[in-house]
Amino acid sequence: MSLGPRVQGERLYRLLLGLYPSSFRARYGRDLLDFYRARVSSVRSRREFMAVWTRIIPDLLSSAIAERAGALLGRARVRPERSRLDYQSEDSMAGLLQDVRFALRGMRQRPGFSAVILVTLALGIGANAAIFSVVDAVLLRPLPYTRADGIVQLSHLAPYQTVSEPEFIDYQRGVPAISSLAAYNSGDVTLTVNEEPVRATGSRVSRDFFAILGPTPTVGRLFVPEEFDPAAKARVAVISNGMWRQQFAADSRVVGKTVVINGSPTTVVGVMPQGFSYPSASTSFWTPWRLNPDSLWTRNNHYLNLVGRLAPGATLAQANAQVRTLDARWMHDFPETYSPEQQLVGRVVSLRDAILGPTRPYLIALLGAVGFVLLIACVNVANLLLVRGEARRREFAIRTALGASSGRLLRQLLTESSLFALFGAILGVGVAWSGATALVALAPADLPRLDQVALDYRVIAFTIAITFVTGLLFGLIPAMRELRNESADGLREGGKASASSGSRAARRTLVVAEVALAVVMCAGAGLLIRSLAKLRAIDLGFDASNVLTMQVTLPARRYNDTTADTFFRGVLSKVEALPGVRSASLDGALPISGSESGWSIQIDGRTVKTIAEAPSAKPEPVTANYFKTFDIRVLRGRVFNDRDRRGAPPVAVINDAMARIIWPGIDPIGRTLKMFNPASPWVTIVGVVADVKARGIQEDVPPTMYFPYSQSAASAYYQPLQMTLVVKTVGDPARLGPAVRAQIRSLDIHVPISQVATMETVISDSIASRRFTTLLLGGFAALALGLAGIGIYGVIAYGVSQRAFEIGLRVALGASRGSVVRLVMGEGARMTVAGVAIGLIGAYAVDRLLRALLVGVTPFDPATIALVIASLIIVAALACALPARRATTVSPTDALRNG
Amino acid sequence: MQRQDPKSQIPLKPIELLVLSMLSAGERHGYGIRQDIIAHTHGDLELEAGNLYRTIRRLETDGLIDESSSSSSSSTDERRRYYRLTPFGKRVLAVELERLRDLVRLGEERRVIGPTPA
Repeated sequence: MSLGPRVQGERLYRLLLGLYPSSFRARYGRDLLDFYRARVSSVRSRREFMAVWTRIIPDLLSSAIAERAGALLGRARVRPERSRLDYQSEDSMAGLLQDVRFALRGMRQRPGFSAVILVTLALGIGANAAIFSVVDAVLLRPLPYTRADGIVQLSHLAPYQTVSEPEFIDYQRGVPAISSLAAYNSGDVTLTVNEEPVRATGSRVSRDFFAILGPTPTVGRLFVPEEFDPAAKARVAVISNGMWRQQFAADSRVVGKTVVINGSPTTVVGVMPQGFSYPSASTSFWTPWRLNPDSLWTRNNHYLNLVGRLAPGATLAQANAQVRTLDARWMHDFPETYSPEQQLVGRVVSLRDAILGPTRPYLIALLGAVGFVLLIACVNVANLLLVRGEARRREFAIRTALGASSGRLLRQLLTESSLFALFGAILGVGVAWSGATALVALAPADLPRLDQVALDYRVIAFTIAITFVTGLLFGLIPAMRELRNESADGLREGGKASASSGSRAARRTLVVAEVALAVVMCAGAGLLIRSLAKLRAIDLGFDASNVLTMQVTLPARRYNDTTADTFFRGVLSKVEALPGVRSASLDGALPISGSESGWSIQIDGRTVKTIAEAPSAKPEPVTANYFKTFDIRVLRGRVFNDRDRRGAPPVAVINDAMARIIWPGIDPIGRTLKMFNPASPWVTIVGVVADVKARGIQEDVPPTMYFPYSQSAASAYYQPLQMTLVVKTVGDPARLGPAVRAQIRSLDIHVPISQVATMETVISDSIASRRFTTLLLGGFAALALGLAGIGIYGVIAYGVSQRAFEIGLRVALGASRGSVVRLVMGEGARMTVAGVAIGLIGAYAVDRLLRALLVGVTPFDPATIALVIASLIIVAALACALPARRATTVSPTDALRNG
Repeated sequence: MQRQDPKSQIPLKPIELLVLSMLSAGERHGYGIRQDIIAHTHGDLELEAGNLYRTIRRLETDGLIDESSSSSSSSTDERRRYYRLTPFGKRVLAVELERLRDLVRLGEERRVIGPTPA
């Protein structure tokens, strides 16, 4: 039916016409299309066009549903005589109230059934909405930066990671695909507001930083170009919204106030808007970075992070290609900086990927799981309503025979389904709200944008709609079938009201699908749980139990190497004197949470031409009791003691990894090394200790050299003023926190103490995202398992009640209890086996997607799969047991008499 | 063809009454009926296709309207379908309007509305 040129939206409209019954479409389809064209022909704007469609869709849906319902009920052809009775019941409010009362009575009469449906709906709707709200806030919502799509990060692949100053200047000029590029680097400082010193993270940012991200300050202003001038004297800072609220009580007169950053008075010029958390959520302030192009650091000094904006029309691929061309040229031009073994490879990624990259697989896994749960919930609702509908065929048959119109019965069913959806939705919103609250509380703190999680009512509406439609569809199917048939059939079949074979098959298929989905979920959760267990079982190389840690930072203005050494010695002796303390020591960077850093060194007896060829190792200043406090095994030689102090011959202890890499097959004790710096002294190796997971549970152990804290100024460039105090205790380490803190304060009240945590917490925080996901996925899997069990129970129990006559007959003919149980359990077993088989295939396909999250297990881990199968069998057996027991109690005489 | 008593169709639904009333002026196609209703109700009621044709379907099934045999006569687009009142439809409309007139009179007598301007 071609009627000239197509108009806008016609294709969709034609598609929607398919919703009408074919007879209606055949008669009026062309007219409807004609109508649509006439309607659209007067439309002048896009807005008007959308307005027309917002009217068309509900109109089309409502009339199509009405036509279909009419066609199904056979009312479409003849207009029935309207009786007075019909007017009274159909056209008045009283009819609706009657329906509601009737539906409520029906719910109360079958409390178990109603409860199961409501719980299923509540969990399906609630869990889905809660998870989606989190995923939406973290992953899907646009980043809070101006035109965030064009923002990119530029970094280097390992081993360089970051960018040096000359490289930054060259990238700014040499990458046309990136129109502007800014550098920043972050660090912790001591920030004093109103005399109170705290540790805070700040970022030094170059000129274009704010222009690229485009925030509008809540109060005050951003930096002006003069403030980036290398000759500028005034120190200024923009503070974060969080700091503004906490430290300044959101006072808008904050502009012009002075804060002290590492001893330097600095003027606050502006406050960032809420949600601006770049480079990280912990950033409290930003200061201008006065880069002087005439006195840059050397090219091999990589420490900058870069953020930029793509030029209009440019792509990430172009930017990457241009960056790599530059890198290749530098490799050629500066052979003394970049060795051929350590390729310089730049990488440009979108900001979204950079921020969300690590979190994405976890959240996608959760979203997938939650979709599965919703699917299972729908299947269960469908199943239960099918069962219920079948059971009521007789009721409908009688009511039809007594003169109830089919429309009346249909409306009755609609009312019931709507009430279930309504109550399920109310419960679901409750579950969603408490679920989202619990999620935010449980979620790891490093989950980006967690503060923006809000319960998403669109999602709730969506899930309610889905479950409602499911309920409607499956609640109506049996009724429709009944109403279309001559009602006498239902009466003749009488009390048996046995289900048609078609709907029985439909129910079995649904249960098989449910079991299969549960298998997929359980397998996924099982794999993650096993990964977590394997992760926790990895030998960390140290004992984290009963260890308290806290960071102590000495203000650089008041402390030098000697006084710092004296101060820390005092702290250690005072803390070790506390009751309940076994030992105490200092550490530059705690195990697990350490960062990526290595220093180039020289080894005795080996000459290297350039720094690029020199081996590198991670430096770690510690005090004498460090190895004892963490119970790190000593493999060879000795560890430090009190004689290894300033002025004594410099010594070092290295880890096993370093011994293997630098002195393979040779005893390193007595060998010497030094920093790649003419002024550094040679340091003698006195011991080798076991490897400690320095950067994270899953990370490789870097070659590490430990230096006595007092000697580190001489042997390892400098003596850090920020150290972590590590205390081994007898009992609960957290309880000693206040006492330890008091000891430090007694020596210097102005020393900031931060990051007080037990070592166990430090470790579990490092895998918080994984634990969170595993916990949730495990919960969902349990939910899926439970719902599958309910599904099996529903079908079997219904089957038993339907077959009471048959079972009674069998018992009367001498069947044993055992054979009756076998009969019932057999049906459950068949469905379970089919579901498990299909589920395993599904698990094989889906769980491969989890590969990125697995540790030490294959995606098709036999032990996990066995466990999943076993739990499904147990649940299925439990679900069948109750109906089977009931079947054995069927009295043959009763069954036969009633049948 | 055996016809039912017009009273069996009473009362009409408001939309049915409107559609029949518009067709009393002569044959119309679907979109024309919509435009007439908009004009008559001063834009208060804008019918969309689905429910309009559902009403047309009902009225056609019940024999109140039928497709005009001279569909193409007045139109350049001969595929457009025009509807007109059947004699039965006219009677139903008349009966319904009589019923409504009685109601209007009642309303006037009881001062619910003012008298019709003469």
